[in-house]
Amino acid sequence: MSSVRLSDLRRTTSFRLALLFLALFGAASLTLFGFLYWQTAGYLKSGTDEWLAREIRSLVAASPSQLIEHLQEHAAHDPGANRPFALFDAAGNKVEGNLANLPTSSLPSDRPFEFSLNRGGEAVPFRGLARRLPSGDIVLVSQNVWEMHEFRELLLGAMAWGGLLVLIMGLAGAAAIGAGSVRRIDEVTGAIERIVKGNLAGRLPTRGTAGDLDRLVEVVNGMLDDIERLMHEVKGVSDAVAHDLRTPLTRLLAGLERAGRRAASVDEYAAAVDEAIGETKAVLSTFGAMLRISEVEDGARRAGFKTLDLAAIAADVTEFYQPLAEAKGVSFSLKDESGGSARIAGDPSLLFEAIGNLVDNAIKFTPSEGRVTVRVFCENARLGIIVADTGPGIPAEEREAVLRRFYRAERSRNTSGSGLGLSLVAAVTRLHGLDLVIEDARPGCSVTLRGERDSTWPNLAAAERTVLAKL
Amino acid sequence: MARVLVVEDDVQTAAEIAAALGDSGFDVDCAHTGREGLLKAGADRYEAIVLDRMLPGGVDGLAVLSTLRTVGIEAPVLILSALSAVDERVRGLRAGGDDYLTKPFEFLELTARIEVLVRRQAIPQRETMLRVGDLELDLLSREVRRAGRPVELLPREYHLLEYLMRQPNQVVTRTMLFEEVWGYHYDERTNVIDVHIGKLRRKLDEGGLPTLIYTVRSSGYVLRAAE
Repeated sequence: MSSVRLSDLRRTTSFRLALLFLALFGAASLTLFGFLYWQTAGYLKSGTDEWLAREIRSLVAASPSQLIEHLQEHAAHDPGANRPFALFDAAGNKVEGNLANLPTSSLPSDRPFEFSLNRGGEAVPFRGLARRLPSGDIVLVSQNVWEMHEFRELLLGAMAWGGLLVLIMGLAGAAAIGAGSVRRIDEVTGAIERIVKGNLAGRLPTRGTAGDLDRLVEVVNGMLDDIERLMHEVKGVSDAVAHDLRTPLTRLLAGLERAGRRAASVDEYAAAVDEAIGETKAVLSTFGAMLRISEVEDGARRAGFKTLDLAAIAADVTEFYQPLAEAKGVSFSLKDESGGSARIAGDPSLLFEAIGNLVDNAIKFTPSEGRVTVRVFCENARLGIIVADTGPGIPAEEREAVLRRFYRAERSRNTSGSGLGLSLVAAVTRLHGLDLVIEDARPGCSVTLRGERDSTWPNLAAAERTVLAKL
Repeated sequence: MARVLVVEDDVQTAAEIAAALGDSGFDVDCAHTGREGLLKAGADRYEAIVLDRMLPGGVDGLAVLSTLRTVGIEAPVLILSALSAVDERVRGLRAGGDDYLTKPFEFLELTARIEVLVRRQAIPQRETMLRVGDLELDLLSREVRRAGRPVELLPREYHLLEYLMRQPNQVVTRTMLFEEVWGYHYDERTNVIDVHIGKLRRKLDEGGLPTLIYTVRSSGYVLRAAE
């Protein structure tokens, strides 16, 4: 707790909350104690007052001589003068009784009052009641109320000590709770500062409980996982961009420098220029593909979405790639099992490009005599498109990696392409709210794009739908 | 000689475009601001206008375009833009543009597109029969004959040939073919169109006839009568 500063403590929410509860509890206790005190003291006082009134009534009712007798008898029974009775004449001089003189000069008549007498050098409290007789004499009865006072003081003392104890315990509790949360916040702050400084693998500490702070920390840690993954991805992409752009740029520069050094004839210069144009086109193509992926991931193209028939686009893709498959000796076919109802909201050019990419890959990696199939399905609310081939397939551990930008599987290291094709497919898939699943087709590989049907599409005849899809 | 106006704020880019179009046989004028472009387009008659989408000085490309269309200048306009997003393209075409090209572009692509735009207004599209050398295409019966012999084509091959025959002796790029014949807009980088052209070429040249479809500098094609 030594690490917790008081100024920190004062600012913590839990400490302030604890103080607030302490104040509320204190106010409630004070009210309760006050009420108890008031009731007890009132009860004791009224007992005394009733006795005083009873005594004075019996004294006044007696004749003067009887009164004197009563007083003498009372004095004999009360040698300690704890209940001093006395009769004073109109001038205030004592006539009879065990009280030397009037306690105060102005006696309230028929109303109990308090006064003190000196007993052995100590002021002792008394409560008395006086009545002026028709003759002008004054009868006074009184009682020592030292015990009553003592009890009241004891009660007050107990309440004060109790209150103090509660206050101290409350403050200590509040400080302990506050210090706990300060420590916790310090841990979390420290962890965050370390992450900000660059330790991306760092996570916020949890205590393994289901407490509210732990739940928050878990959510933040999940977010940190995502950030770390994205940072790694960005770094991987930048490295890959650097590589994929640097390589053709190096070749471009080297080729031009070589031409400047060696080329002697116009033909040699022309060859160097053609080479340079080729390299520049490769750079632009990589660059363009990257920009397209970010444009697609940006999601702005959703604004231009219209309802379209997935089967119509699949048919166009199949028709477009058919000659390529034929040239390679791969049998290529389309199976439309959707019955014309595979409609989704989308961008036709992007979907054509994405499906085209899958088909292009499938044909590229399928050996001749192999088979590539495009299947469009629509079952209940689910729809999708499957591109399956009989090529070497993608090993399970590489299936996620192939969707990353610039990733090239070992087998395709020497084929052309920027390594951006499948990431574009993934981006287009996400843009359309579809899921992309890569599976083993035994033999070969199947890629499925699937999602929900767009139910806003009116129920039209197949011919009309085809027309609409092409608009 | 067809006259083309180039409105482009970057002086060097404008000079390069002018040089490329000049090499293709166009007479080129340059303007470097929207205002200057409007003045020149209003004062002279041009067969085509190359217009940069982003121009400095208050009047940008789309503003120039809508002003031209408002005052009744109907010369075809090709919009050049550094903005590749599809909605930008749609906005450009909606403002009255006839074609849209994203920077950076290949000059072959630009000159081929400008030639198509210029040619399109010169030739009335009324004919029912297209002829290039010994190749005939009947637009009504959809029959194709090479040297009198019928050629069987798939629907897409027919579209491809029709588009090429409408621009005879002109370079048509792969991207133009893809946009025009397949109707999708993106930068198609595979060689699939070459395969389609190869198939079409084989069907047309069957029987040892000289070829009609020539490949131009690896990115375009031209259909012309065999010599």
